[in-house]
Amino acid sequence: MTSKDELLSELSRCVLEMEDDDIADVAREYAKNGYKPLDGILNGLVDGMNKAAQLYEEEEYFIPELLICSDAMYNGLDVLRPLLSKTDFGNGHKIVIGVVQGDTHDIGKNLVKIMLESAGYELIDLGRDVPVENFVKAAKENNASVVGMSTLMSTSMNNMKLVIDSLAKEGIRDKVKVIIGGGPISKSFAHKIGADGYSRSAVEAVKLVNQLVGISA
Amino acid sequence: MLDTMTPLQRGTAIAKGESADRLPCNPNIANGVARIYGCKISEFNTDAKTLAKAQIASYRKFGYDSIRIFTDLFPWAEAMGSKVVKPDDNTVDLAEPAIKNIEEISNLMPADPYKDGRLPVQLDAMKYLVDEVGDEIGCSFGVVGPFTNAFFLFGVEKTLTSIRKNPEVVHRLCRVSMETVKAFVEAGIKIGLTPSISEPMSSCTVVSPKVFREFSLPYLKELVDFINSKGKGVIIHICGQTNKIWPDLEKLDIAGMSIDNVASIAECKKIMGHKTKILGNVDPGGIMYSGSPLDVRLKTLECIRDGYDSPKGYTVMSGCSLPVETSTENIKEMLDTVRDAEYPVNINKVESMIADCKKKMNQEDY
Repeated sequence: MTSKDELLSELSRCVLEMEDDDIADVAREYAKNGYKPLDGILNGLVDGMNKAAQLYEEEEYFIPELLICSDAMYNGLDVLRPLLSKTDFGNGHKIVIGVVQGDTHDIGKNLVKIMLESAGYELIDLGRDVPVENFVKAAKENNASVVGMSTLMSTSMNNMKLVIDSLAKEGIRDKVKVIIGGGPISKSFAHKIGADGYSRSAVEAVKLVNQLVGISA
Repeated sequence: MLDTMTPLQRGTAIAKGESADRLPCNPNIANGVARIYGCKISEFNTDAKTLAKAQIASYRKFGYDSIRIFTDLFPWAEAMGSKVVKPDDNTVDLAEPAIKNIEEISNLMPADPYKDGRLPVQLDAMKYLVDEVGDEIGCSFGVVGPFTNAFFLFGVEKTLTSIRKNPEVVHRLCRVSMETVKAFVEAGIKIGLTPSISEPMSSCTVVSPKVFREFSLPYLKELVDFINSKGKGVIIHICGQTNKIWPDLEKLDIAGMSIDNVASIAECKKIMGHKTKILGNVDPGGIMYSGSPLDVRLKTLECIRDGYDSPKGYTVMSGCSLPVETSTENIKEMLDTVRDAEYPVNINKVESMIADCKKKMNQEDY
């Protein structure tokens, strides 16, 4: 029988080294041995994803690598997650996330989603080219703590402000933290439109959200 | 201070080392010209005359140095079968790639620039542009590089994943894109305009330098050589960080390198400046759209300070296309700042204007 630590480091390695075809077998072996699924997720899969994110920060990995790492992570999650009871994983905070209307690029948003999910948040992903009213509706319906918006197109930046204005009009602006990101977005732009935070990368987004909702990492 | 030369006179004089009224400047207004001309952006999809007239109206208003037919990144993929969304008054975006799985790749055919999608509209707009202003300003047209176009044929995430999992697919997508791009470029050059290449997916922010060298650079080189063989120079713009691929780009025979605001003019000048003109890189979102005229002035001056002595020339430009709603006040401020810097650039004056801006910002308690 392979030890728990060995399997954890194998899960982590499979994510980090993009073994998206092999990882499900490792996850199944881990589960078959009766080891705790939550540990497998946090100390195996998420650990590997964090290391991949670190390599991305160091410009060793780029977006193609991160995407395959996340494919591997999700393939592992597909095996381990059904074994969890609902309360095991997650910090109770919900985040509505999407790419604002006028932009159909969602790689950045997907990376942020992956990192936030691996940090224990529940994500409500509205996808891309999302109309203003859908952000507001989803935030209300899900009682979300955070609304995250991204865009790659400078031409669509203004829709972020419209979402913030609309949250205020609906009387829920003080209930949610608004974070924004994407190629043309900057701290000064976030300040200008009244967002609560901006982060430059998916890794920073986790730190930012932790800080805004009062969770210390 | 008013301009005393046309953009063409200015460019020619500077190239010959003669005196000129100011540095060249291109705020890169893109579809924002619709606001200045007073039309909807969607009219650019069907109405060649309006597309040209809006560009001309904006040029006449501000007096900048570059005028270009370019509406969005997707006309070439669209002409090859990808679907786009065309908002009533915003920029066109990709809705659905031409192929969904690898098996369909052999269905992809190069586009005919005279027939397919919006390409004929763009070619017609080029004719109006040259007829109206061709004797006073260098007219250009935009095209995406073959690597970038590949992503719009097969979908961005699928193509990114294929780079590792199925490299031959990416090469095939690039090759068929190359056919389309070459045909379009040839048609534009025949009308008398100069192409410029946008290659955003080549950015180090997206793919590694190694991937760039294997999948993008060979096609980019083929395209640049093709354009040069037709007697034209070409400017390349790549979004995001590009510092690690400058040594590769330096080896191409390009007329200009336009960089994003996250890259450094001073560093790019050191690596590429002896070979090609440098253009950039005032932040289009953080400064041009969100900033005050004073922010615009400071950043423009800092760009001039970093770039003015680049051996093959320097053009003040935004780091990428401006957001549609960028204020005319900020665009005007960019041009006025370039005028104030004089030509040849009075670097002492530029330094003291930078100091003045900073002092004012402190007083305004930024």
